[in-house]
Formats: sequence, C-alpha cells, structure tokens
Amino acid sequence: MARMKFLADAERCIECNGCVTACKQENEVPWGVNRRRVVTVNDGVPGERSISVACMHCSDAPCMAVCPVDCFYRTDEGVVLHDKDLCIGCGYCFYACPFGAPQFPQAGAFGLRGKMDKCTFCAGGPEKDNSKEEFAKYGSNRLAQGKLPACAEMCATKALLGGDGDVLADIFRTRVLKRGKGSEVWGWGTAYGKPDNPQAKPPQGAKS
Amino acid sequence: MDAHAVVSSRSWKIALALTLAVALGGVPAQAQQDPQAQRLEETQAQRQQVQPGNNAPVWREVRREGEHFTTIKGPEAGVLIHSLGQTWREIRNAWIVPIVGWLIVIAACAIGLFHWGHGPVRLEDKPTGRLIRRFTTVQRVAHWGLAISSCILAVSGLIMLVGKHVLLPVIGYTLFSWLAEISKGLHNFVGPVFAASAVLMIVVFVRDLLPAAGDLGWILKVGGLLSGGRLPAGKHHAFHKLWFWGSVVILSTIISATGLVLDFPTFEQTRAVMIVMNIVHAVAAGLLMALSVTHIYMGTRGVEGAYEGMRYGYVDETYAKEHHVYWYEDVKAGKVETEMAEGTPEAPQVLQAARS
Repeated sequence: MARMKFLADAERCIECNGCVTACKQENEVPWGVNRRRVVTVNDGVPGERSISVACMHCSDAPCMAVCPVDCFYRTDEGVVLHDKDLCIGCGYCFYACPFGAPQFPQAGAFGLRGKMDKCTFCAGGPEKDNSKEEFAKYGSNRLAQGKLPACAEMCATKALLGGDGDVLADIFRTRVLKRGKGSEVWGWGTAYGKPDNPQAKPPQGAKS
Repeated sequence: MDAHAVVSSRSWKIALALTLAVALGGVPAQAQQDPQAQRLEETQAQRQQVQPGNNAPVWREVRREGEHFTTIKGPEAGVLIHSLGQTWREIRNAWIVPIVGWLIVIAACAIGLFHWGHGPVRLEDKPTGRLIRRFTTVQRVAHWGLAISSCILAVSGLIMLVGKHVLLPVIGYTLFSWLAEISKGLHNFVGPVFAASAVLMIVVFVRDLLPAAGDLGWILKVGGLLSGGRLPAGKHHAFHKLWFWGSVVILSTIISATGLVLDFPTFEQTRAVMIVMNIVHAVAAGLLMALSVTHIYMGTRGVEGAYEGMRYGYVDETYAKEHHVYWYEDVKAGKVETEMAEGTPEAPQVLQAARS
C-alpha cells in the first residue's frame, strides 16, 4: 500500500499560487478558508524561495493527538482525515499543527470557530466516496477516482508533488542529482520523521 | 567588496564593517574569533555567492520566529513551521491530562476516606432557635454565582480534558461529540460569568477575610481537628482565609484572565500566546478543582449548619458559638452590627438588629 505524501520543491516553486487556486476550485472551499498557501522566504531579494504548504498528513499527527473528541483518523494510505460531524471547533488542532493546516470558517467571540476544515489530500471524508454529502463537507475525493491531489496535478513547474512517498522520493533524488543542489525535502522531517521503511524500493517503471 | 554590497541592510552592514576593516589594514576581530557565528548571520544572497547550492540560510529563516510573505490571509499564514505546537502537545497529553485527572480522583478519595473514617462535624448542642445573620445577600449572590459557574466549568472542562480517555470509550463517538460540543459552548459562555463573580466575590469578602494574628497557629493545629477539640475562631477561620486567598484571589483570577484570552480569539492572539494561556489555565483549574472537592464537602455534608448559612444567610447561635466563638461573642457584645432572627435558617423571623 502506498504511503501518500506531499513534497514541495523549493528550487522549483515560482509562487504562482496555482495550487491554492486549484484546491479552492476543486474542493469548493468556503470563502475565507484556504487549505493550501504559498509562503515566500526572502521575498523580493536574491535567495528568495517559495514553499507551498497544506496539511502534510503526518505520520504521528499532533492534531490527532490533541483532539478532545478524537475526530481524526488515518486511511490505509496514510492520509489524515477528520469527521466534521464529531468536530466541536475547539481549535486545539490549530494550536498543535506545525504547518498551520487546520482552518476555521470563523474566529468569533466566545470561541465560536465553526467546524475545522483542512486539506484532505483530495480524499474526502468518512461519508460514502464521491457522495453529495462528502463533497459538501470535505470537497472532492479524487483518490477514490484514481487521481492524485488537484494542487499537485495542477502545479506548472512540478514543484509540488503528491503521491506515494517512495515514488516522490525517487523523483526528487533524480532531480537533486541532476541539478546538484537543493537536496532539502522541506517539512519531511517534521511530518514523517524517520522513513517508515528505509529499504523501500520505488515501483519499477513508475512515472511521475 | 562589491559582492557584499547588496540588498539587505544586514549584508550592507557587514560590507561596511569589512570595508572599514580592510581600510584600517586588519581583519575584523569578531570574524577572526568566531567565523562560525558570522556564517550563521549570512543571508541566502551572500551564501549563494560562495556556495551556489547551499540553501542553509533559507532553512534557518524558515525556523526563525516571525512571518514570511504570503498572499493568503489568515491567522499566522506567513509562518511555515510552528514548533511550539509539538511542545504543547507533549506537555498537555503526557503531563496535564493524567496529572489533573488523577489529582481529582485522589482528592475525591481522600474526602471519601475522611467521611468514612471521621464523619461529618456535627453540632454538639441543640439549635437554640436564635439566628444570627452571617452573610449579606450580595455576598451570597457572589458566592453562588461563583459556585454554580465553577461547577459547570469544571464538569465541561473535564469532559474536554479527560473525557476522551474516560467517557468516550464508554458512550461512543457520536454521543461524546454531542456532549463535548455542549460542554465547549457552556464553558465559553459561562466563563465570563465566573470571571465577573470572582471579581464580585473578592470585593465583597475581602474585608472579612484579611489575615489576623492567630491564623497561623490555627492552621498548624488544623483547627483542632486532629486533637479532637475545636480551636476558637473569629467570623472566618484560617482555612476560610486560605481558601479565599489561594483559590479565589489567586487561582480564580489566573483562570479568568487566561480563560478570557482563549475565549476571545478575536484579537489576533498568536498560537504561542494561546498555548501558554492554555497550559496555565489547565494547571490552575486542575489545582482549583482538586481543592474545591474539600470546600464543597465541608460546605455541604462535612459541617452541620454550614450549607444553610450560605444558602439562607443565617446560622443558629449554637453554630456560631461552636465554630466562630470570637465572632459570636462580638455579636453578642454588640461590637459587630448584624441582623438577628428567630426560627430555623430556612424560615427566619427577622428581629430588630441587635445593638447595644
């Protein structure tokens, strides 16, 4: 079984925000909520680097650990999803998340935040795959249709990759060898810790 | 030197320093002493000049506090990695949840043991039917405002803190989520009532609860409880004072202040602020809940006549004499102005205020 991961290649990202737009369009995310964002370090000066961030679907997810109602779950493919019917909107996942992924439709007085919304790796939620209810709450379930996340598929420079971690690592390794720099895989240490399976071989004949 | 004279003010300063140093005919002393530290200060632009493939300054920048540029609007959207979250998760899950949970269980067990071993403190003499007014209406409103809001906040707070480990496995996800949602709403709306009651409580009780000579000795002898007798006390004994200053003045104020910061995330508080507030809030509230168990027991089952005193405002003279003999003597001597009545605390027949 594949272990789904995101990989943001800081050497390639041109800060076009196409991933942000693709995500909003694909999932019909509510106004004011952005599941993905592009952050630029050293903006406007030499040495500028941009990184696309959303939920990284961590191996040991802090959101899952602090949720008081245990509304998070992990799919067989390592995607961290949550049940909006259980979510009470306490905001703890937002306090705990290293990537600032959990989003809330409101930030009202008396802690009225509404149900948390975040990147689902385009894998929907606990409802029936590709049902109307699932789409209304979580957006598209592209994984169930055999597709990869819309943000990564849309990325013009292929800076953002989403898919089986072993395949991504292989693509990235090739890139690094070819260009001879930029070997840092942003956020992987934080999100995935040590490799689940250091001896893993990428599937033969796979293409990005 | 041209290579250094670029963009950011930091590199400009370094360039200036280097130019000066070269002009003066020497290498900067700082660079000679600690080249490693100076490399840590390099910007990506500077690093690229010497090591085109080295992005270390960028990754240091990512971990540095503060926000970077982003077009997305949202709380702290410009922060790439927020490291404190993991720290909070570890403190909360590994320390606060189990310690607060077990502390309350231990406090409840201790009181249960006291009740079983020692039993409630009963009045030795029969009630006289003569009543003394012990608490004013404002004092009782403040007390019950704080008491009732505390109970709601304690139960709802515990559901959100330890419910996942205690209730969720028993009642299931759907019911527990429903309960937690109600708890969160109650907690957030009752919280300000608690804060207001605490302020009122401090204002209307502080004069009666100022420390006095003899309080320390009273505490050391646990009010005579250990020796079987009962030490004389004024209107409020030293434990009342400890409870007031420790729990109401210190803990409730801390809980109110931190709670209000968490309750109104409308002022763009950062996650770091909320995390610190959350930890302080949970620790102070855990301590207060554990201490409250004793106060609630003593005020209801533990001491005969105490509950009626706060509920109706009157205590029988027997209660006053046995528990607060100095106050009783002062009332009798007319040194303290208060109302007198007859009957039972539930149905007092108010008499003319006893004055000398």
